[in-house]
Amino acid sequence: MKLLKSLTLCLCVSVSSLAAAETAIIVNPANANAISDNDISRAFLGKLKKFSDGQSIEAVNTKANSDTRVAFEKMVLKKSPAQVKAYWSKRLFTGKGKPLQELASDAEVLNFVASTPNAIGYVDASVVNDTIKVIKTL
Amino acid sequence: MKKTLLALSLGMALPLTAVHAEISFNGFANIVAGKASSGDTQWGYDDDVDFKQDSLFAIQASTDLAEGLSATVQIISRGEDDWDTEFEWAYLAYDVNDQTRILLGRQRAPMYMFSDYLDVSYAYPWITPPEGVYDLELSTYDGLSASYNFTLGEFDSTAQLFLGSETNEIEILGTEVESEFDKIYGGSLTLNRDWLTVRAAYLTTDLSLPAPGADQLIAAWQTIPGFETIGDEATIDEEQAKFAEVGFQIDYNNWLLIGEYTHIDYEQMPLDTEESMFITAGYRFDTVLVHLTYGQDENEVNGNVNRLPFGVSPELDGLSAVTEQTFRFREQDSSYYTLGARWDFHDSAALKIEYSRRDNDLINQDTNLVRTALVTVF
Repeated sequence: MKLLKSLTLCLCVSVSSLAAAETAIIVNPANANAISDNDISRAFLGKLKKFSDGQSIEAVNTKANSDTRVAFEKMVLKKSPAQVKAYWSKRLFTGKGKPLQELASDAEVLNFVASTPNAIGYVDASVVNDTIKVIKTL
Repeated sequence: MKKTLLALSLGMALPLTAVHAEISFNGFANIVAGKASSGDTQWGYDDDVDFKQDSLFAIQASTDLAEGLSATVQIISRGEDDWDTEFEWAYLAYDVNDQTRILLGRQRAPMYMFSDYLDVSYAYPWITPPEGVYDLELSTYDGLSASYNFTLGEFDSTAQLFLGSETNEIEILGTEVESEFDKIYGGSLTLNRDWLTVRAAYLTTDLSLPAPGADQLIAAWQTIPGFETIGDEATIDEEQAKFAEVGFQIDYNNWLLIGEYTHIDYEQMPLDTEESMFITAGYRFDTVLVHLTYGQDENEVNGNVNRLPFGVSPELDGLSAVTEQTFRFREQDSSYYTLGARWDFHDSAALKIEYSRRDNDLINQDTNLVRTALVTVF
Protein backbone atom coordinates (compact mmCIF):
# COMPACT_ATOMS: atom_id res chain seq x y z
CA MET A 1 0.00 0.00 0.00
CA LYS A 2 2.81 2.36 0.99
CA LEU A 3 4.71 1.36 -2.12
CA LEU A 4 1.65 2.10 -4.24
CA LYS A 5 1.30 5.47 -2.56
CA SER A 6 4.90 6.54 -3.14
CA LEU A 7 4.67 5.22 -6.69
CA THR A 8 1.64 7.39 -7.47
CA LEU A 9 3.34 10.27 -5.73
CA CYS A 10 6.41 9.87 -7.94
CA LEU A 11 4.25 9.71 -11.01
CA CYS A 12 2.39 12.88 -10.05
CA VAL A 13 5.61 14.72 -9.32
CA SER A 14 7.26 13.81 -12.60
CA VAL A 15 4.09 14.53 -14.58
CA SER A 16 3.64 17.90 -12.93
CA SER A 17 7.30 18.88 -13.38
CA LEU A 18 7.09 17.90 -17.03
CA ALA A 19 3.95 19.91 -17.47
CA ALA A 20 5.31 22.89 -15.56
CA ALA A 21 8.66 23.39 -17.24
CA GLU A 22 11.17 22.08 -19.71
CA THR A 23 14.89 22.19 -19.14
CA ALA A 24 17.27 23.37 -21.83
CA ILE A 25 20.92 22.29 -21.89
CA ILE A 26 22.94 25.20 -23.23
CA VAL A 27 26.42 25.99 -24.50
CA ASN A 28 28.15 29.07 -25.86
CA PRO A 29 27.09 29.91 -29.49
CA ALA A 30 30.75 29.56 -30.51
CA ASN A 31 30.77 25.93 -29.40
CA ALA A 32 30.31 23.69 -32.44
CA ASN A 33 31.05 20.38 -30.74
CA ALA A 34 28.66 17.48 -31.05
CA ILE A 35 27.95 16.13 -27.59
CA SER A 36 26.00 12.94 -26.91
CA ASP A 37 23.53 12.42 -24.06
CA ASN A 38 26.03 10.15 -22.34
CA ASP A 39 28.76 12.80 -22.64
CA ILE A 40 26.47 15.47 -21.18
CA SER A 41 25.94 13.23 -18.17
CA ARG A 42 29.69 12.51 -17.90
CA ALA A 43 30.53 16.22 -18.16
CA PHE A 44 28.24 17.06 -15.23
CA LEU A 45 29.78 14.22 -13.17
CA GLY A 46 33.29 15.50 -13.79
CA LYS A 47 34.24 12.39 -15.77
CA LEU A 48 34.47 14.04 -19.18
CA LYS A 49 36.93 16.90 -19.06
CA LYS A 50 37.21 18.01 -22.70
CA PHE A 51 34.95 18.70 -25.67
CA SER A 52 35.81 16.78 -28.83
CA ASP A 53 37.77 19.79 -30.15
CA GLY A 54 40.04 19.66 -27.11
CA GLN A 55 38.67 22.64 -25.14
CA SER A 56 38.28 21.89 -21.45
CA ILE A 57 34.67 21.65 -20.27
CA GLU A 58 33.38 24.07 -17.67
CA ALA A 59 30.05 22.69 -16.47
CA VAL A 60 28.00 24.85 -14.08
CA ASN A 61 25.14 23.99 -11.77
CA THR A 62 22.29 26.08 -10.50
CA LYS A 63 21.44 26.24 -6.81
CA ALA A 64 21.06 22.95 -4.96
CA ASN A 65 17.46 21.74 -4.75
CA SER A 66 16.16 24.25 -7.30
CA ASP A 67 13.41 22.70 -9.47
CA THR A 68 15.57 22.98 -12.60
CA ARG A 69 18.50 21.23 -10.96
CA VAL A 70 16.47 18.43 -9.39
CA ALA A 71 14.77 17.79 -12.76
CA PHE A 72 18.11 17.89 -14.60
CA GLU A 73 19.78 15.48 -12.18
CA LYS A 74 16.85 13.10 -12.33
CA MET A 75 16.57 13.07 -16.12
CA VAL A 76 20.19 13.39 -17.23
CA LEU A 77 22.25 11.99 -14.37
CA LYS A 78 19.47 9.59 -13.31
CA LYS A 79 20.24 10.33 -9.69
CA SER A 80 18.38 11.88 -6.75
CA PRO A 81 19.87 14.98 -5.06
CA ALA A 82 21.13 12.75 -2.22
CA GLN A 83 22.82 10.38 -4.68
CA VAL A 84 24.48 13.29 -6.46
CA LYS A 85 25.68 14.63 -3.11
CA ALA A 86 27.06 11.21 -2.16
CA TYR A 87 28.79 10.99 -5.54
CA TRP A 88 30.56 14.33 -5.07
CA SER A 89 31.43 13.45 -1.47
CA LYS A 90 33.36 10.46 -2.82
CA ARG A 91 35.22 12.61 -5.32
CA LEU A 92 35.87 15.41 -2.84
CA PHE A 93 37.18 13.31 0.04
CA THR A 94 39.46 11.30 -2.22
CA GLY A 95 40.86 14.46 -3.76
CA LYS A 96 39.58 13.43 -7.18
CA GLY A 97 37.42 16.46 -7.87
CA LYS A 98 35.38 19.29 -6.49
CA PRO A 99 31.65 19.77 -6.97
CA LEU A 100 30.77 22.00 -9.92
CA GLN A 101 30.55 25.73 -9.56
CA GLU A 102 27.04 26.73 -8.43
CA LEU A 103 25.37 29.85 -9.80
CA ALA A 104 22.45 31.46 -8.02
CA SER A 105 19.86 31.69 -10.79
CA ASP A 106 18.93 30.84 -14.38
CA ALA A 107 19.88 34.39 -15.39
CA GLU A 108 23.39 33.92 -13.99
CA VAL A 109 23.80 30.59 -15.78
CA LEU A 110 22.64 32.23 -19.00
CA ASN A 111 25.14 35.09 -18.61
CA PHE A 112 27.96 32.76 -17.67
CA VAL A 113 27.42 30.45 -20.66
CA ALA A 114 26.97 33.44 -23.02
CA SER A 115 30.33 34.85 -21.93
CA THR A 116 32.33 31.62 -21.49
CA PRO A 117 33.25 29.77 -24.72
CA ASN A 118 33.84 26.38 -22.99
CA ALA A 119 30.85 26.46 -20.61
CA ILE A 120 27.90 24.11 -20.44
CA GLY A 121 24.85 24.63 -18.26
CA TYR A 122 21.12 24.13 -18.09
CA VAL A 123 18.23 26.53 -17.53
CA ASP A 124 14.46 26.53 -17.56
CA ALA A 125 13.56 26.49 -21.27
CA SER A 126 11.35 29.58 -20.86
CA VAL A 127 14.36 31.89 -20.28
CA VAL A 128 16.36 30.79 -23.33
CA ASN A 129 17.48 33.62 -25.67
CA ASP A 130 19.90 33.95 -28.59
CA THR A 131 23.02 34.73 -26.49
CA ILE A 132 23.42 30.98 -26.00
CA LYS A 133 22.90 27.78 -27.99
CA VAL A 134 20.46 25.07 -26.92
CA ILE A 135 21.87 21.60 -27.57
CA LYS A 136 19.07 19.62 -26.01
CA THR A 137 15.68 20.18 -24.43
CA LEU A 138 14.31 17.81 -21.82
CA MET B 1 56.85 10.34 9.06
CA LYS B 2 53.46 11.95 9.60
CA LYS B 3 55.06 15.06 11.07
CA THR B 4 57.54 15.32 8.22
CA LEU B 5 54.75 15.10 5.73
CA LEU B 6 52.76 17.81 7.42
CA ALA B 7 55.81 20.05 7.53
CA LEU B 8 56.37 19.27 3.89
CA SER B 9 52.86 20.11 2.79
CA LEU B 10 52.75 23.21 4.96
CA GLY B 11 56.15 24.22 3.67
CA MET B 12 54.90 23.80 0.14
CA ALA B 13 51.66 25.61 0.82
CA LEU B 14 52.80 28.61 2.81
CA PRO B 15 54.96 30.61 0.42
CA LEU B 16 52.40 30.14 -2.33
CA THR B 17 49.27 30.81 -0.32
CA ALA B 18 50.43 34.38 0.00
CA VAL B 19 49.66 34.63 -3.70
CA HIS B 20 46.75 32.23 -4.10
CA ALA B 21 45.44 32.18 -0.52
CA GLU B 22 42.74 29.72 -1.33
CA ILE B 23 42.42 26.78 1.01
CA SER B 24 39.13 24.94 0.95
CA PHE B 25 37.86 23.16 4.00
CA ASN B 26 35.39 20.30 4.00
CA GLY B 27 34.47 17.72 6.54
CA PHE B 28 32.39 14.73 7.44
CA ALA B 29 31.18 13.09 10.61
CA ASN B 30 29.65 9.78 11.61
CA ILE B 31 27.97 9.47 14.99
CA VAL B 32 27.28 5.80 15.58
CA ALA B 33 25.65 4.10 18.55
CA GLY B 34 25.60 0.34 18.86
CA LYS B 35 24.72 -2.45 21.26
CA ALA B 36 25.24 -6.21 21.03
CA SER B 37 22.76 -8.72 22.42
CA SER B 38 23.02 -9.64 26.08
CA GLY B 39 26.35 -11.24 27.03
CA ASP B 40 27.71 -11.01 23.47
CA THR B 41 30.42 -9.09 21.68
CA GLN B 42 30.38 -8.37 17.98
CA TRP B 43 32.59 -6.16 15.80
CA GLY B 44 33.92 -4.24 18.81
CA TYR B 45 30.58 -3.81 20.59
CA ASP B 46 29.41 -5.46 23.79
CA ASP B 47 26.02 -5.38 25.47
CA ASP B 48 26.39 -1.79 26.74
CA VAL B 49 25.36 1.02 24.41
CA ASP B 50 28.56 2.34 22.86
CA PHE B 51 28.99 5.61 20.97
CA LYS B 52 32.72 5.38 20.39
CA GLN B 53 33.46 2.31 18.29
CA ASP B 54 32.50 3.67 14.86
CA SER B 55 32.07 7.40 15.52
CA LEU B 56 34.42 9.88 13.90
CA PHE B 57 34.92 13.50 12.86
CA ALA B 58 37.07 14.53 9.90
CA ILE B 59 38.29 17.75 8.35
CA GLN B 60 39.91 18.03 4.97
CA ALA B 61 41.90 21.01 3.78
CA SER B 62 43.09 21.30 0.24
CA THR B 63 44.73 23.95 -1.81
CA ASP B 64 45.46 24.35 -5.47
CA LEU B 65 49.07 25.37 -6.05
CA ALA B 66 48.48 25.91 -9.78
CA GLU B 67 50.04 24.18 -12.77
CA GLY B 68 48.59 20.82 -11.81
CA LEU B 69 49.96 20.76 -8.28
CA SER B 70 47.71 20.53 -5.23
CA ALA B 71 48.08 19.66 -1.56
CA THR B 72 45.49 17.88 0.57
CA VAL B 73 45.39 16.86 4.21
CA GLN B 74 42.59 14.97 5.91
CA ILE B 75 42.59 14.53 9.66
CA ILE B 76 40.26 12.20 11.51
CA SER B 77 39.41 11.90 15.19
CA ARG B 78 38.05 8.47 16.00
CA GLY B 79 36.03 7.58 19.08
CA GLU B 80 37.64 4.15 18.93
CA ASP B 81 41.05 5.77 19.57
CA ASP B 82 39.72 8.01 22.37
CA TRP B 83 39.33 10.78 19.79
CA ASP B 84 43.04 10.94 19.04
CA THR B 85 43.56 12.85 15.82
CA GLU B 86 45.44 11.20 12.98
CA PHE B 87 46.38 12.14 9.46
CA GLU B 88 44.55 9.78 7.14
CA TRP B 89 45.59 11.58 3.99
CA ALA B 90 48.45 14.07 3.58
CA TYR B 91 49.67 14.26 0.05
CA LEU B 92 50.83 16.37 -2.83
CA ALA B 93 49.08 15.63 -6.09
CA TYR B 94 50.46 16.40 -9.47
CA ASP B 95 48.22 16.23 -12.52
CA VAL B 96 50.57 15.41 -15.35
CA ASN B 97 47.64 15.83 -17.76
CA ASP B 98 43.88 15.21 -17.76
CA GLN B 99 44.45 11.46 -17.57
CA THR B 100 47.39 11.01 -15.25
CA ARG B 101 47.73 11.97 -11.62
CA ILE B 102 50.56 11.25 -9.24
CA LEU B 103 50.10 11.28 -5.46
CA LEU B 104 53.02 11.52 -3.09
CA GLY B 105 52.56 11.17 0.65
CA ARG B 106 50.13 9.54 3.01
CA GLN B 107 47.12 8.09 1.20
CA ARG B 108 44.60 5.28 1.09
CA ALA B 109 45.70 1.81 0.03
CA PRO B 110 43.16 1.18 -2.77
CA MET B 111 42.61 -2.43 -1.80
CA TYR B 112 38.84 -2.49 -1.65
CA MET B 113 36.00 -1.03 -3.67
CA PHE B 114 35.21 1.44 -0.87
CA SER B 115 38.80 2.04 0.30
CA ASP B 116 39.06 5.56 -1.11
CA TYR B 117 36.15 6.81 0.97
CA LEU B 118 36.21 4.17 3.67
CA ASP B 119 35.26 6.61 6.44
CA VAL B 120 32.75 8.74 4.54
CA SER B 121 29.67 6.84 5.62
CA TYR B 122 27.50 9.39 3.79
CA ALA B 123 28.88 8.02 0.50
CA TYR B 124 27.63 4.42 0.88
CA PRO B 125 24.52 2.54 2.05
CA TRP B 126 25.71 0.79 5.23
CA ILE B 127 26.95 2.34 8.48
CA THR B 128 30.40 0.87 7.76
CA PRO B 129 31.41 -1.32 4.80
CA PRO B 130 30.89 -5.02 5.67
CA GLU B 131 33.33 -5.85 8.49
CA GLY B 132 34.52 -9.25 7.35
CA VAL B 133 35.87 -8.03 4.04
CA TYR B 134 37.06 -4.67 5.38
CA ASP B 135 38.97 -5.93 8.42
CA LEU B 136 42.56 -5.92 7.23
CA GLU B 137 44.76 -3.68 9.37
CA LEU B 138 46.05 -1.82 6.36
CA SER B 139 44.02 1.13 5.15
CA THR B 140 46.48 3.97 4.58
CA TYR B 141 50.15 3.93 3.65
CA ASP B 142 53.01 6.31 3.02
CA GLY B 143 54.29 6.28 -0.50
CA LEU B 144 53.64 6.95 -4.11
CA SER B 145 50.78 6.21 -6.48
CA ALA B 146 49.97 6.96 -10.07
CA SER B 147 46.49 6.78 -11.53
CA TYR B 148 45.53 6.84 -15.15
CA ASN B 149 42.01 7.56 -16.43
CA PHE B 150 41.00 6.29 -19.82
CA THR B 151 37.98 5.10 -21.73
CA LEU B 152 37.72 1.46 -22.65
CA GLY B 153 34.89 1.15 -25.14
CA GLU B 154 31.98 2.71 -23.28
CA PHE B 155 33.63 2.39 -19.88
CA ASP B 156 35.27 5.17 -17.89
CA SER B 157 38.27 3.38 -16.47
CA THR B 158 40.91 4.05 -13.86
CA ALA B 159 44.12 2.11 -13.45
CA GLN B 160 46.21 2.76 -10.37
CA LEU B 161 49.66 1.57 -9.35
CA PHE B 162 51.02 2.14 -5.87
CA LEU B 163 53.96 1.41 -3.63
CA GLY B 164 54.88 2.30 -0.09
CA SER B 165 54.95 1.14 3.50
CA GLU B 166 52.94 1.48 6.68
CA THR B 167 53.24 0.87 10.41
CA ASN B 168 50.21 0.45 12.58
CA GLU B 169 49.49 -0.29 16.24
CA ILE B 170 47.30 -3.35 16.51
CA GLU B 171 46.06 -5.44 19.38
CA ILE B 172 46.80 -9.14 19.46
CA LEU B 173 45.54 -11.28 22.30
CA GLY B 174 45.33 -8.23 24.53
CA THR B 175 48.80 -6.82 23.74
CA GLU B 176 49.49 -3.77 21.59
CA VAL B 177 52.15 -4.49 18.99
CA GLU B 178 53.40 -2.50 16.05
CA SER B 179 52.58 -4.16 12.76
CA GLU B 180 54.73 -3.30 9.77
CA PHE B 181 53.65 -3.50 6.18
CA ASP B 182 56.82 -3.12 4.13
CA LYS B 183 57.31 -3.22 0.39
CA ILE B 184 53.67 -2.69 -0.46
CA TYR B 185 53.32 -3.08 -4.22
CA GLY B 186 49.94 -3.09 -5.86
CA GLY B 187 47.58 -2.09 -8.57
CA SER B 188 43.87 -1.72 -9.17
CA LEU B 189 41.57 -1.37 -12.14
CA THR B 190 38.07 0.13 -12.02
CA LEU B 191 35.63 0.18 -14.94
CA ASN B 192 32.45 2.22 -14.76
CA ARG B 193 29.64 2.69 -17.21
CA ASP B 194 26.34 4.27 -16.30
CA TRP B 195 24.87 1.86 -13.70
CA LEU B 196 27.66 -0.72 -13.66
CA THR B 197 31.03 -0.62 -11.89
CA VAL B 198 33.50 -3.52 -11.80
CA ARG B 199 36.82 -3.53 -10.03
CA ALA B 200 39.84 -5.67 -9.24
CA ALA B 201 42.90 -5.09 -7.07
CA TYR B 202 46.06 -6.97 -6.21
CA LEU B 203 48.88 -6.25 -3.80
CA THR B 204 51.77 -7.92 -2.08
CA THR B 205 53.41 -6.79 1.14
CA ASP B 206 55.99 -7.97 3.63
CA LEU B 207 54.31 -8.25 6.98
CA SER B 208 55.94 -8.15 10.42
CA LEU B 209 53.98 -8.65 13.63
CA PRO B 210 56.35 -8.84 16.57
CA ALA B 211 55.14 -11.36 19.12
CA PRO B 212 56.53 -10.87 22.60
CA GLY B 213 58.66 -13.90 23.30
CA ALA B 214 58.93 -14.88 19.65
CA ASP B 215 62.66 -15.57 19.96
CA GLN B 216 62.08 -17.95 22.87
CA LEU B 217 59.34 -19.67 20.91
CA ILE B 218 61.64 -20.25 17.94
CA ALA B 219 64.51 -21.35 20.19
CA ALA B 220 62.28 -23.75 22.11
CA TRP B 221 60.93 -25.46 18.98
CA GLN B 222 64.42 -25.72 17.50
CA THR B 223 65.37 -28.08 20.30
CA ILE B 224 62.55 -30.50 19.48
CA PRO B 225 63.41 -32.97 16.72
CA GLY B 226 60.92 -32.96 13.87
CA PHE B 227 59.36 -29.66 14.90
CA GLU B 228 62.22 -27.26 14.23
CA THR B 229 60.27 -25.15 11.75
CA ILE B 230 57.17 -24.66 13.91
CA GLY B 231 58.77 -21.72 15.72
CA ASP B 232 59.46 -19.93 12.45
CA GLU B 233 55.93 -20.49 11.24
CA ALA B 234 54.46 -19.21 14.49
CA THR B 235 56.17 -15.86 14.09
CA ILE B 236 55.54 -13.18 11.50
CA ASP B 237 58.75 -11.48 10.48
CA GLU B 238 58.89 -9.94 7.01
CA GLU B 239 56.74 -12.67 5.57
CA GLN B 240 54.96 -12.09 2.31
CA ALA B 241 51.19 -11.71 2.07
CA LYS B 242 49.35 -11.60 -1.26
CA PHE B 243 46.00 -9.88 -1.46
CA ALA B 244 43.47 -10.08 -4.30
CA GLU B 245 40.07 -8.43 -4.60
CA VAL B 246 37.22 -8.34 -7.09
CA GLY B 247 34.01 -6.36 -6.73
CA PHE B 248 31.03 -4.99 -8.59
CA GLN B 249 28.27 -2.45 -8.08
CA ILE B 250 25.02 -2.19 -9.96
CA ASP B 251 22.90 0.89 -9.35
CA TYR B 252 19.98 0.49 -11.74
CA ASN B 253 16.92 2.67 -11.34
CA ASN B 254 15.97 2.08 -7.72
CA TRP B 255 17.82 -1.19 -7.36
CA LEU B 256 21.25 -1.58 -5.85
CA LEU B 257 23.41 -4.69 -5.96
CA ILE B 258 26.94 -4.73 -4.53
CA GLY B 259 29.32 -7.66 -4.16
CA GLU B 260 32.94 -8.04 -3.19
CA TYR B 261 35.31 -10.94 -2.66
CA THR B 262 38.80 -10.92 -1.16
CA HIS B 263 41.44 -13.62 -0.91
CA ILE B 264 44.71 -13.41 1.01
CA ASP B 265 47.56 -15.92 0.91
CA TYR B 266 50.15 -15.88 3.67
CA GLU B 267 53.56 -17.46 3.32
CA GLN B 268 55.27 -19.06 6.30
CA MET B 269 52.83 -17.58 8.75
CA PRO B 270 50.39 -18.83 11.39
CA LEU B 271 47.64 -17.97 8.92
CA ASP B 272 47.34 -19.79 5.67
CA THR B 273 44.52 -18.12 3.74
CA GLU B 274 41.72 -15.62 4.40
CA GLU B 275 38.65 -15.54 2.23
CA SER B 276 35.81 -13.06 2.65
CA MET B 277 32.82 -12.04 0.60
CA PHE B 278 29.61 -10.11 0.89
CA ILE B 279 26.66 -9.38 -1.30
CA THR B 280 24.22 -6.53 -0.71
CA ALA B 281 20.87 -5.94 -2.38
CA GLY B 282 18.97 -2.74 -1.84
CA TYR B 283 15.91 -0.87 -3.04
CA ARG B 284 15.36 2.87 -2.90
CA PHE B 285 11.91 4.15 -1.93
CA ASP B 286 12.36 7.86 -2.66
CA THR B 287 14.56 9.07 0.24
CA VAL B 288 14.71 5.72 2.02
CA LEU B 289 17.07 2.92 0.98
CA VAL B 290 16.43 -0.53 2.42
CA HIS B 291 19.22 -3.09 2.10
CA LEU B 292 20.10 -6.65 3.00
CA THR B 293 23.64 -8.03 3.16
CA TYR B 294 24.93 -11.58 3.40
CA GLY B 295 28.60 -12.13 4.16
CA GLN B 296 31.03 -14.99 4.81
CA ASP B 297 34.50 -15.01 6.34
CA GLU B 298 36.80 -17.98 6.44
CA ASN B 299 40.36 -17.73 7.76
CA GLU B 300 42.38 -20.93 7.65
CA VAL B 301 45.42 -21.45 9.82
CA ASN B 302 48.71 -23.07 8.87
CA GLY B 303 48.11 -26.82 8.66
CA ASN B 304 51.00 -27.52 11.06
CA VAL B 305 48.81 -26.38 13.94
CA ASN B 306 47.17 -29.80 13.79
CA ARG B 307 50.51 -31.58 14.16
CA LEU B 308 51.54 -29.87 17.39
CA PRO B 309 52.81 -32.48 19.88
CA PHE B 310 50.21 -32.56 22.64
CA GLY B 311 50.31 -35.19 25.41
CA VAL B 312 54.03 -35.96 25.25
CA SER B 313 55.12 -34.00 28.31
CA PRO B 314 53.65 -31.15 30.39
CA GLU B 315 56.40 -28.78 29.20
CA LEU B 316 55.71 -29.58 25.56
CA ASP B 317 51.97 -29.24 26.14
CA GLY B 318 52.55 -25.74 27.50
CA LEU B 319 54.65 -24.77 24.51
CA SER B 320 52.11 -26.30 22.11
CA ALA B 321 49.27 -24.45 23.81
CA VAL B 322 50.99 -21.08 23.48
CA THR B 323 51.84 -21.83 19.87
CA GLU B 324 48.33 -22.98 19.05
CA GLN B 325 46.92 -19.78 20.52
CA THR B 326 49.30 -17.81 18.31
CA PHE B 327 48.28 -19.80 15.25
CA ARG B 328 44.59 -19.46 15.87
CA PHE B 329 44.29 -15.79 16.79
CA ARG B 330 42.63 -14.83 13.50
CA GLU B 331 41.07 -18.17 12.62
CA GLN B 332 37.50 -17.67 11.52
CA ASP B 333 34.56 -19.44 9.98
CA SER B 334 31.50 -17.29 10.16
CA SER B 335 28.64 -15.80 8.23
CA TYR B 336 26.31 -12.89 8.88
CA TYR B 337 23.20 -11.11 7.71
CA THR B 338 22.69 -7.37 8.01
CA LEU B 339 19.33 -5.72 7.43
CA GLY B 340 19.52 -1.96 7.24
CA ALA B 341 17.93 1.27 6.12
CA ARG B 342 19.26 4.67 5.17
CA TRP B 343 17.03 7.73 5.22
CA ASP B 344 18.24 10.89 3.49
CA PHE B 345 16.24 13.24 5.68
CA HIS B 346 18.38 16.32 5.03
CA ASP B 347 20.46 17.87 2.21
CA SER B 348 23.74 16.87 3.83
CA ALA B 349 22.83 14.24 6.37
CA ALA B 350 21.41 10.76 6.54
CA LEU B 351 20.11 8.55 9.31
CA LYS B 352 20.99 4.85 9.22
CA ILE B 353 19.87 1.87 11.22
CA GLU B 354 21.15 -1.71 11.00
CA TYR B 355 20.58 -5.07 12.58
CA SER B 356 23.27 -7.73 12.12
CA ARG B 357 23.22 -11.37 13.07
CA ARG B 358 26.47 -13.25 12.96
CA ASP B 359 26.91 -17.04 13.20
CA ASN B 360 30.33 -18.12 14.39
CA ASP B 361 30.70 -21.74 13.29
CA LEU B 362 33.98 -22.30 15.14
CA ILE B 363 32.48 -21.82 18.59
CA ASN B 364 28.91 -22.44 17.48
CA GLN B 365 27.65 -19.11 18.71
CA ASP B 366 25.23 -16.55 17.32
CA THR B 367 25.52 -12.88 18.19
CA ASN B 368 23.29 -9.93 17.36
CA LEU B 369 24.13 -6.27 16.97
CA VAL B 370 21.99 -3.18 16.48
CA ARG B 371 23.55 0.06 15.32
CA THR B 372 22.21 3.43 14.42
CA ALA B 373 24.11 6.29 12.82
CA LEU B 374 23.79 9.93 11.93
CA VAL B 375 26.17 10.70 9.06
CA THR B 376 26.92 14.07 7.47
CA VAL B 377 29.17 15.88 5.04
CA PHE B 378 29.89 19.58 5.37
